[in-house]
Amino acid sequence: MKNGLIKTVINKYAIIFVLFGLVLLFSLLSPYFFTLQNLTNVFVQQSYVIIATIGLSFVMISGGMDLSIGYQMSLVGVVTAILMKNIGLPVPLSILLGLLLGVALGLTNGLAAITLKVHPLIVTLGTMTVYQGISYIASNQSVILNLPPSYKAIGQGYIGGIIPISVILMIIVSIVASFILSKTSFGRYVYALGSNEEAAHLGGINVNKIKLIIFAINGLFAAIASMILFARTGSAASSTGPGTEFSAMTSAVLGGISFKGGEGKVWGIIVGVLILGVLGNGMQLVGLNTYAQFIVKGLVLLAAVGFDTYQKASAQKASIKESTN
Amino acid sequence: MEDTTILSLRGITKYYPGVVALNDVSLEFKKGEVHALIGENGAGKSTLIKIISGAIKPDKGLIEINGKQYNSLDPLHAKQNGIEAVYQEFNLVDSLSVAENICFGEQNGFLIDFKKMYEKAKKIFDDMQVDIDVKARVSDLSTAQQQLVEIAKSISRNAKLLIMDEPSAPLSVSEVEKMFDIVRNLKKSGVTIIYISHRLDELFEISDRVSVLRDGQYIKTLETSRTNPKELISLMVGRELTESFPQKRGTIGATALELKNVCGNGLKDISFTLRKGEILGIAGLVGAGRTELARLIFGADKLISGSVLINGKPVRIHLPVDAINLGIGLIPEDRKRQGCFLEKDVSWNISISNLRSLLKWKTVVDKNKEKSLAEDFYDRLNIKTPTLMQKVKNLSGGNQQKVVLAKTLATNSDIIIFDEPTRGIDVGSKQEIYHLIRDLADQGKAILMISSEMAELIGLSDRILVMYSGRITGEITKEEFSQDRILELASGLN
Repeated sequence: MKNGLIKTVINKYAIIFVLFGLVLLFSLLSPYFFTLQNLTNVFVQQSYVIIATIGLSFVMISGGMDLSIGYQMSLVGVVTAILMKNIGLPVPLSILLGLLLGVALGLTNGLAAITLKVHPLIVTLGTMTVYQGISYIASNQSVILNLPPSYKAIGQGYIGGIIPISVILMIIVSIVASFILSKTSFGRYVYALGSNEEAAHLGGINVNKIKLIIFAINGLFAAIASMILFARTGSAASSTGPGTEFSAMTSAVLGGISFKGGEGKVWGIIVGVLILGVLGNGMQLVGLNTYAQFIVKGLVLLAAVGFDTYQKASAQKASIKESTN
Repeated sequence: MEDTTILSLRGITKYYPGVVALNDVSLEFKKGEVHALIGENGAGKSTLIKIISGAIKPDKGLIEINGKQYNSLDPLHAKQNGIEAVYQEFNLVDSLSVAENICFGEQNGFLIDFKKMYEKAKKIFDDMQVDIDVKARVSDLSTAQQQLVEIAKSISRNAKLLIMDEPSAPLSVSEVEKMFDIVRNLKKSGVTIIYISHRLDELFEISDRVSVLRDGQYIKTLETSRTNPKELISLMVGRELTESFPQKRGTIGATALELKNVCGNGLKDISFTLRKGEILGIAGLVGAGRTELARLIFGADKLISGSVLINGKPVRIHLPVDAINLGIGLIPEDRKRQGCFLEKDVSWNISISNLRSLLKWKTVVDKNKEKSLAEDFYDRLNIKTPTLMQKVKNLSGGNQQKVVLAKTLATNSDIIIFDEPTRGIDVGSKQEIYHLIRDLADQGKAILMISSEMAELIGLSDRILVMYSGRITGEITKEEFSQDRILELASGLN
C-alpha cells in the first residue's frame, strides 16, 4: 500500500505544502519577498499571533473556545503600561504583574464556564465585553505614549543584532507548549477532555481542575502575546489587541485544530499562522489592497476547512468499511 | 406465513479495502415471516442490511424485490418498495412531537394539518395497542417509547419489510415482551421482519426462520423450530461453543465494600455488602436504578445520605478520581459515550486513567512504560487489533469493550463495577469477558456486575441483588437462583 502511504503523508502535511507553495509563488511574483529582511519581518509580525494561537489551542483542543483573548491582551497591555508609566513601577515588576493579570483573566473565564455550566464560547462572549469595558475605563480612552525602552525591547530588540527577541520568545513558548501537549500527563488530559469529556470524567480525570489550568495557560500566553504586541507598537491603547482572537481562530483551524476538540499539534498552529502571515505579506508586496487581502484570506480558510472535512469524510468512509458490522 | 418471496438476494458481494465484507451471499425472505439474522460481530450483518436499505451498493449480485430486479438500491427506491429500518440509533427529531415524527416528510402543501396528523398517529398507536401521547415531545419519552415511535413511523409509511437491528438492546424485559407483541401483529398483517439480535433466546421466541452469517459468508438458513441455541452458536463461531460459564475457583473473603442506608440519585435506602472474591449480580429492569447505583458508588453522582465503607472504613467519594484512588473501578454502560476515546489509539486509551504510574520526573509520560502496559493488556485480554496505534473507533464492539476493560484494570482496582459488560458484543468476546470477570474474582477482587441478561447473571454471579424503582427488593443466593424469582422481584411483585 505504498500509494496509501504517500496519500497519508500528503493529507497529514498538506498545510506545509501549502505554505511552501505560497512562499514559492510570492518569490516568483515579487523580488522583495524572498529576502532575509522580509522573511524576518514576517516572523516578527507573526510571533505574537503564534503565541496567542498556541494559548487558544489549549482551550480548543480541550473542546472549548475563547473569544476574549483580544481584549485580554488589550487589558493586560494597558494595565502594564499604566503600572510602568503612570504609577512608575519598575519594568520587570510591571511585566510580572501584567502576566499575573493575564492568568487571572484566564482563570475568570474558566471559573465562569465551570460554575455557570455554559459553553466557554458563550461565557467568553460575555467576559470579552467586560474586559473591553475595563480596558477602556483603565486607559481613560487615551493612548499612553513613550513606553520605556527596556519594555519596547521585547517587541523591537534583537539579540546579537540579528535574532529578534520576540521570535526567541515565540520559539521558547512553542517548545514549552509542544512539550506540555505531547509529552506530559497534563497534555494527555487536555486531549482527553476534547475527545470525550464524559469518558474523561469517569476515567478519573479531574475535569474542572484541568479546565481551570487550561484557561490559566491561555490567559498567560495571551498576556505574553500582549507584551510583544504593545512593546512593538511602543504605546498603549485599548484598541490594540482585539481582532487577534479571529486571526488566532483562523490560524488554529488552518493548522488542524478541530472545533470539536481532541485534535491538533503545535507545529500545525505555527504553520497555520505563517500561511496567513505569508499571504498578507506577499499580497502587500504584490500590491493587492487590504480589502482584497481579506477576501483571499477568507477563501483560504474556507478551502482549508473544506479540504479537512473532505479528508475526514473519506477517512471515515474507509474506517466504516474496515469496521463494518 | 405465506410462501411468496418478497425479497431475494443473489450472489451479493461487497469488498472493502483488504476485506470481503460479504462473499456471494444469497438469501430469500418470505412475505409475513420473522427472519432472524445472526452472526458474530464482523460477520457481515450490518453490511447486508445496509445493502437492503439502500445505504450502500454491493459490488456484485442482484436484489429482487416485488418481482423487480436491481443491481443496487438507494434509500429512495428502498422506501418505495416498502423497506423500512429501525436502527439501534434512532432517527427521530427530539424537539418535535411524536405525531410530527411519525408523519415526518408526508405533509403536502404549505400548512400542516395538525388535527389530521394527530389522528393518524393515534390510529397507528391504537392498532399497535400502545398508549403514548401523540403530542408529547420525543425528547420526553423513554428509550422504549422512542423505539415504538420509530416502529410507528415505519408502519405509517406502509412498511412491507421492516429491518430491526438489535431492537431489544435498550429495552427491559417487560418492554421486550411488548415489542414482541407488536412484531407478531405486524407479521399477522403481512409485514416481513428481518430481526437482528445477539440474544439467542429472543430468536427462539419470535422468529420463524434464522439465517447465519460468518465472516461475510452465508452459512445456513434454518427453521427456528427445528434448531437449538447450541447448534446456532456452533454455526456462528464455526466451532462447538457451550454457553457455559467459568467455574469458581477462589474463595470468598472479607467484606470489601459496604453501603449503609444510601440515598441519592433516585436511590432509596440502599444497604448491602460486597466481599472479596465475590461476584455480586445486580438485576432489575431498565430504570430500576442500577446504573444510578454504580455512578453513586463511583462518585459520578452525589450521595445525599447514608455511608459507604471500604474494608470497614467509612470513605467519602466526591469525584470518580476519589473512587479510583480508593481502588474502585467502573466499566460504564455505554462504551462509546462513557468508556473510550474513539479518536485515540488503543495504547492511549489503556493508559489514560493510569498515567500517574507511567510518569518519569513526575510529569512526562514514559513511552516505554506505556508500551509495556498496553502490550501486557493486549496479551492478557486478547485484544484483536492490527497494532496498538490503531484508533479505537476502528475496532469491533467486543474489542472496544476489551480496551475499556484494560483501561479500568490498569488502575489496579480491588473493587470493580461492571455495568452491562457484554452489551452488544459477539459471542466469542462474551465468553472471554466472562472468564476475565471470574478470574478477577478468583484473584480476590470484589465484583459488582449489573446486567440485563438473565443467563449472564445466573451463570456468573455468586449472589444476586434485585432492584426495583430505586430500592433493593431482594437478595437471592446461588442455590435459589431462578429466572422467575428474579423477574418477580424486578417487577416489584413482592
